[in-house]
Amino acid sequence: MSARDLQSRRPDGAAPYSSGQPAQLADVLERVLDKGIVIAGDIKIDLLDIELLTVRLRLLVASADKAREMGIDWWEGDPFLNRAAQQRELEERLKRLESAAGIESPSGGDSSSE
Amino acid sequence: MGTTAPSGVAWYVYGVVDAAAEPPAAPAGVARHVQPLTEGGLTALVSPVALDEFGEEPVRARLEDSTWVEEKARAHEAVLEAALGTGAVVPFRFLTVYRDEAELRNFLAARRDELLSVLEGVRGKVEVGVKAFADIAALERSVAGRSPEVAELDAQIAGAQAGRAYLLQRRRDEAARAESARLVAEIARDSHARLLAAAFAGTANAVQPSELSGRPGQMVLNGAYLVPVAGSDLDRELGALAEHYAHLGISFERTGPWPPYNFVPRDLGAGDDA
Repeated sequence: MSARDLQSRRPDGAAPYSSGQPAQLADVLERVLDKGIVIAGDIKIDLLDIELLTVRLRLLVASADKAREMGIDWWEGDPFLNRAAQQRELEERLKRLESAAGIESPSGGDSSSE
Repeated sequence: MGTTAPSGVAWYVYGVVDAAAEPPAAPAGVARHVQPLTEGGLTALVSPVALDEFGEEPVRARLEDSTWVEEKARAHEAVLEAALGTGAVVPFRFLTVYRDEAELRNFLAARRDELLSVLEGVRGKVEVGVKAFADIAALERSVAGRSPEVAELDAQIAGAQAGRAYLLQRRRDEAARAESARLVAEIARDSHARLLAAAFAGTANAVQPSELSGRPGQMVLNGAYLVPVAGSDLDRELGALAEHYAHLGISFERTGPWPPYNFVPRDLGAGDDA
């Protein structure tokens, strides 16, 4: 899924304060994929966080560099961009997946953290 | 790994509402129908779904299918939004699926107190989204009037030879970009602070890239605010902000009301590891 696939189909120029129009897809996705209670541990079907992460990061990472450039990267609440622990966890999961799939990590096994 | 339920059916859970709540006239959910499943003072809104669509393997494949993701994500949101129309609702993350009813009932019973407390916390409240957009090019053009450095360079360029003018122009453009970035950051922080003051709670989320926002201009604020369902000071504050920053080409967009996605905890209670 690419950013282009997710592009809003709402025509431009909608009145800024009106409601009742269909929500933009990006607004829906950032809520339902990223927010809401995660029922960890009780769940019977693994929720494939890796795949969700992929979707999520494709949504959000593109904006991070640009925002940093503009000095507006101060937002809270995005654990995947802000929480180093989560990033490390993701990297570890990725490594496990890669080793399970027999793919070598491009970073060449450097396990030191920054 | 696990064996699939013999029936091939699982429960998709959208979120929970009060057991006494009038069931929402729910639109079609992720599957054909939405039904209440009540256990110990709480009602989960659920849909029976086929494991060959919502099982682990099928979902993995479908997450790459943007049409499927859009359809199901919108359905998830539509059910919660309908529930919001009749009372408090605690949204669950997209793709919360239980393999069987007994497990789901066990979960609701075991986490009853935490869920009721979260429900209580969002009662009578809704989430409103506010996004601010800046026309960066216009902003850079207009900073000349507010940055002494840019104004000084403009004056030097006017009296300079071609070669030197070119170098000065590059410095001028850089200075204008920096000043515009400083201004944008200031506007975003100020807007968020003022909206936050008019709400129970608020959070500034990562801005969306413009190919997603579907709007011209760069998003500079992507905020979510928890406000009273009956109306709030937020709209007045938003109007004031829009007026205040209109001369800088900043525009605001309000979305919602949304179920309080941004104002429920990611994990329930202290027993869970993050």
